[in-house]
Amino acid sequence: MTKLIVGVSGINAVDNPGPGIGVARSLREAPDLDVRIIGLAYDAMEPGIYMDWVVDDAFLLPYPSVGNETYRERLLHVQRRTGMNFIIPTLDTEMPFYMKYRQELAGLGLPVFVPTPEQYRLRGKDRLGELAQALELKLPRTEVVSSADDLERAVDRIGTPVMVKGAFYKAYKAHTTKEALSHYHKLVAEWGYPILVQEVVEGDELNVVAVGDGEGGLLGRVGVKKMWITELGKIWTGVTMRHPAMLGATERFMEVYRWRGPMELECIVDGDDVFLVEINPRFPAWSYLATGVGVNLPARMVRRALGLPNPASEAEDYPAGKLFVRYTYEMVTDMNRFQSMITAGECGDCAREGRTAATGPGDTTSAGGSVAGHGRAPAVQSGDTP
Amino acid sequence: MQRLRSLALNPDGFAFDPTTGESYTLNATGLVVLEGLREGLSSDELAARLADTFEVTPDEASRDVDDFLDHLRTFRLV
Repeated sequence: MTKLIVGVSGINAVDNPGPGIGVARSLREAPDLDVRIIGLAYDAMEPGIYMDWVVDDAFLLPYPSVGNETYRERLLHVQRRTGMNFIIPTLDTEMPFYMKYRQELAGLGLPVFVPTPEQYRLRGKDRLGELAQALELKLPRTEVVSSADDLERAVDRIGTPVMVKGAFYKAYKAHTTKEALSHYHKLVAEWGYPILVQEVVEGDELNVVAVGDGEGGLLGRVGVKKMWITELGKIWTGVTMRHPAMLGATERFMEVYRWRGPMELECIVDGDDVFLVEINPRFPAWSYLATGVGVNLPARMVRRALGLPNPASEAEDYPAGKLFVRYTYEMVTDMNRFQSMITAGECGDCAREGRTAATGPGDTTSAGGSVAGHGRAPAVQSGDTP
Repeated sequence: MQRLRSLALNPDGFAFDPTTGESYTLNATGLVVLEGLREGLSSDELAARLADTFEVTPDEASRDVDDFLDHLRTFRLV
């Protein structure tokens, strides 16, 4: 089999971690896949860049918001440097690009396994009512707003406290209308419209990670109960569970929407009441839990995407009661990778080889030239402000 | 009763609900009652077992069983 060279984004293993490191670890642990991991980062400080036991090479990408052409060119640059032949985008903000250019990227030798734009739209935060009905789940009272006046009226109708949620990320609890307005303005500035105002429901936070095969079937799923979360609501300790309503809803989601790719179902469970919070169209940051209990979802997804068989010996099911514990750890390393990321926008073995080649006469490839803020114009920049 | 039967229970009094991921701790008395419930004993039979095991009066044992069942109801386990 050709060596699998996978670009993985979301390698920001910080207090609000991206999913990339868990995805990359999972691929490395698949015994049948000969994998090299290319970290696709947006900042030279992303810890995954320095975790060379997980990430082989790392490249800085421009933010998707700079434009599709620039972003695509940068991916092709990474492909030329590394031979990258598969990409797993893990961040919400990347999804529109990868969904739109999925076929073109596949034609360029960069396949991705992502939903269609229509599938993505149907699970959007503004469609939660239909989604909950299709999945036979309850929905907290929810209103979609796009102005401050709308927000005030929604808070009046729902009653405080409410959750104020951004279009892509972040959710804040507000106890007063004034507080809700403050969160609204903050979220609009950061993530744009629409904003959701939602009734607060009490209960346990239960989530499921799953991968759909795009034909109505599941490639695997694992459920977790969040036992301990950070101030940002990110899971720090959790335990696998097998809640029939949630696992059933996951299967229905795949059947009804014929979902292709990873997803995370988020619910709040209060006794027999299961409230839908949202469905994220990507791997969650805790995906490694699934691999840890024997359901290697990233590997199963890659095999499916490449037409490889998923081994019968690999578990599709999992036990309840396995504990997930995140922890912090530090490393001390020299400045090489950091310097390389700052000056060239890339680091690792491929990057080193590439830079050697790029010093030859007539080579006009600029390793970091397409990265915003890392161009080659004469400049002096503090190393701690990339 | 289905929820109670599905609990993973260890001899030290740690119980785990695989459906919800919730975990509970039981003292020695609670463990005896829970095990009895899973065997299908009635309230009177549970009280009798408690009285035999912990040398308490039948009245005390009966009250303890009722209290424990209230706890289980609070946790929606029965």
